[in-house]
Amino acid sequence: MIKTPEALLEQFCQAASRVGARTVRCLSAKAAVDYIVRHAGGTIILPDFPAARQLNLAELLRTQGAEVICGDLFQAATTAAAGITGANFGLADTGTVVIESTAQAIRLASTLPERHFVLLNPHKILPDHMAAVPILRRLHSRQSPDFIAFITGPSRTADIERVLTIGAHGPRELHILLLDGLSDDFLET
Amino acid sequence: MSRRARQYRHLIDQALSDVRRQDALHRFGDAYLAARAEAFADLDFESLRHDIAVMKDTVRDDWPHQLEKFMQQAAATGAKVFLAPDAQAANTYITDLAQRHDARLAVKSKSMAGEEIALNHALEGIGIRVVETDLGEWIVQLAGQRPSHMVMPAIHMFRDQVAELFGKLTGEHEAEDIAHLVELARQTLRKEFLHADLGISGANLAVVEDGSLALVTNEGNARLVATIPPVHVVLVGIDKLVPCLEDAVKVLQVLPRNATAQAASSYVTWLRGPSPGRDQQPRELHIVLLDNGRSKLASSKESRDAWRCLRCGACANVCPVYQTIGGHVFGHVYVGAIGIVLTAFLHGLDDAAELIQACIGCRACVNVCPAHIDLEHIILGLRRRLAETEGVGLIKDLLFKRVLRNRRLFHGLLRTASRMQKPLTGSTSSVRHLPLFFSSLTEWRTLPAIAPRPLRDLLAEQPLVAEPRLRVALFGGCAAEFVLPDIGLALARVFRHFNIELVYPEDQSCCGIPALYSGDAATATELARQSVLALTKTQADAVVTVCPTCTTALTKHFPELLAEDPALADCAAGLAAITRDAAVLLAEQLADASPVGPANTAGTVTYHDSCHLRRGSDVYLQPRRLLATAGWQLTEMAHPDRCCGFGGSYSVLGQPTIARAIAKDKLADILATSAEVVAADCPGCLIMLRGLLEKSNAPTRVAHSVQLLADTLPDK
Repeated sequence: MIKTPEALLEQFCQAASRVGARTVRCLSAKAAVDYIVRHAGGTIILPDFPAARQLNLAELLRTQGAEVICGDLFQAATTAAAGITGANFGLADTGTVVIESTAQAIRLASTLPERHFVLLNPHKILPDHMAAVPILRRLHSRQSPDFIAFITGPSRTADIERVLTIGAHGPRELHILLLDGLSDDFLET
Repeated sequence: MSRRARQYRHLIDQALSDVRRQDALHRFGDAYLAARAEAFADLDFESLRHDIAVMKDTVRDDWPHQLEKFMQQAAATGAKVFLAPDAQAANTYITDLAQRHDARLAVKSKSMAGEEIALNHALEGIGIRVVETDLGEWIVQLAGQRPSHMVMPAIHMFRDQVAELFGKLTGEHEAEDIAHLVELARQTLRKEFLHADLGISGANLAVVEDGSLALVTNEGNARLVATIPPVHVVLVGIDKLVPCLEDAVKVLQVLPRNATAQAASSYVTWLRGPSPGRDQQPRELHIVLLDNGRSKLASSKESRDAWRCLRCGACANVCPVYQTIGGHVFGHVYVGAIGIVLTAFLHGLDDAAELIQACIGCRACVNVCPAHIDLEHIILGLRRRLAETEGVGLIKDLLFKRVLRNRRLFHGLLRTASRMQKPLTGSTSSVRHLPLFFSSLTEWRTLPAIAPRPLRDLLAEQPLVAEPRLRVALFGGCAAEFVLPDIGLALARVFRHFNIELVYPEDQSCCGIPALYSGDAATATELARQSVLALTKTQADAVVTVCPTCTTALTKHFPELLAEDPALADCAAGLAAITRDAAVLLAEQLADASPVGPANTAGTVTYHDSCHLRRGSDVYLQPRRLLATAGWQLTEMAHPDRCCGFGGSYSVLGQPTIARAIAKDKLADILATSAEVVAADCPGCLIMLRGLLEKSNAPTRVAHSVQLLADTLPDK
């Protein structure tokens, strides 16, 4: 049974929310920026990625009064409140976002801060992991080295008495911003 | 008893006194099964695990070639690749590397392979500080212990113990609050990540197709280990190879669901080559592929299926022995059922010896294994190997070789014992107390007495069936023949009612499983020969048993043991095909018979699934239907398929103290139902359950379901 894009998106949002991620439909880039500024809670680190360039994100965020750090993020990443990255695509069955993260800055922005904001084109949702294999294969063959992250919800642990606790080493909050008009290319974030 | 065995007994006694941990592991096992069922709700587990088994076997049978290809692919991505034949080679490679980089601090993401080769010890030996970053692993490291579970290393500890441990580190009083403790770990370890010279992780998958590695974590520590330090070492067993990305995804579909009941872990990281560092500075990626006994495992005909293991830890989660004594006692580095096999191959048979004997053989692990490994079968094979080198013990050796192989002597002794035991039993059928040092055997349960007359004598007096519609030979088995002959008599009555002739071949003997499962295959083969001859002579239409262990012997072990016997191989295979448990045979024969008694009038019954019947033969519906047919009202107990603790000689000669603890759980589940009767279709379970209930003075009756069916027949 082939699902419509709307059904896949619906399934994606439900699955993401089950694992503690927040999905937000953003009607415009400005709405996305407003959301980020409202929730960032401090300094934002912004690595270089196609959607950020396309939207001129750093400029928009600063206009809204956010403190944004670009370029060499290493020092800032350790104290920043939030990081922003794009996503290549999402997986409906588990609410996973797939992020090509070969550049270290992308990995820092998605790992060290308390909050991780992900920009995702809502039309780029695949049904499941198996459907992602051909793209993973193309990403792998395009360049090496490469580092691809499949992220499902915020960081978690249950290592003490099996009690689920959010925010072990990675972000405590994962916000997935669904924004039309971002790149249609599954190989691009 | 050897020094090693004595030390192990001591560890068991210590573990048994830790009630709090036992309780936690029991609750964990229950919660795990419920959550896991939900995680697999929309998937076909059986077909998924079949696919994984086939895929892993393909790699295993071709591993040198697959490994070579992976190494080429990985090298092409810019990674440095090293094949370590053993632990020492792996440790030397990594310590040399650390020295070359003048490393002082290494951060480590959880790696069982690292535990296996004692990598931390090797690094600390050259003055490098190693910090585990997985929370559970860090706790265990701070406590100076080793993981008690492959996925949840600190499952044996509690928040107050963790708080105390962290307090020693910070020099302050730390609150016994889990969120606070996690936060403390986050802040402390964050600093270590930023200053580390070396990052070390394991890998869950190594993909031959393109030289990529997949790392699965929930906390995100592997991502930091792979991102921040300038050098990243991945230590990965050669058994983690999968041919292509599709295969990898199949594993990732099953692994988190079976390990932690998650549809997906928070982070799956795909690494290909050394990703760049700060300002696009090059970093180094070293892949150390570890053999250390794995190739030996691959070529072991008996044990090689264990190569398939995905390290999900499920076999421990559901194991009654693990739940009772924990992973530090029921494990070496690797714990639980798979731990027994891995220890034997990666560390040596001697380190595995006590663990091999501590398995009760209930097959709970086999049911949940995502790679379809028949762990019980492999462990029995190891027990056989151990018996070849160490013997089976004096008592068993005498019993098996001198007594069991000679049916007349064996049966003669049992008849004598029946007369001699009168002073202990009085007029009852149980031994409630034993004198002197035997008293530990009857401290917590009664032991069954040997029946005044064996089943064969009693059956000889039964009326014949005129013009039967079926001739069925009964394989009695020792317990039903000499301890519980009433089961066989009940079966005879049921058969008569349904016009089936029961034949009892005189020369049948013990099924041989007590010898086989203790490691004495020669005695088992001789016994198989005797019984196959006896049963074949009857030319019956079917063979019926009232003991699922005997069924396993007839359907599985007899054909295996006699496969090389030109005269009997075909006979054994033929018998295997027509052998049925009583409940199954009756369900087949009575499929269209009308109910024997009016529904729900006979009384309330709760049904205990015997391990060998439920998981050995997949029989659990038929006996329940049979009881309903007979008019019994069924009240299910909690964990009906959990082992009762009998385990054959396990509860008497093997590990009686563990058996006792497992039995206590079963008793509680039975009593909670308030049923009038507990039914089970295995004489071993019946002996155990009766012993427990009598000793606790519970009025609950214990019966085989054939007896309950017989009770409700009109022509009593």
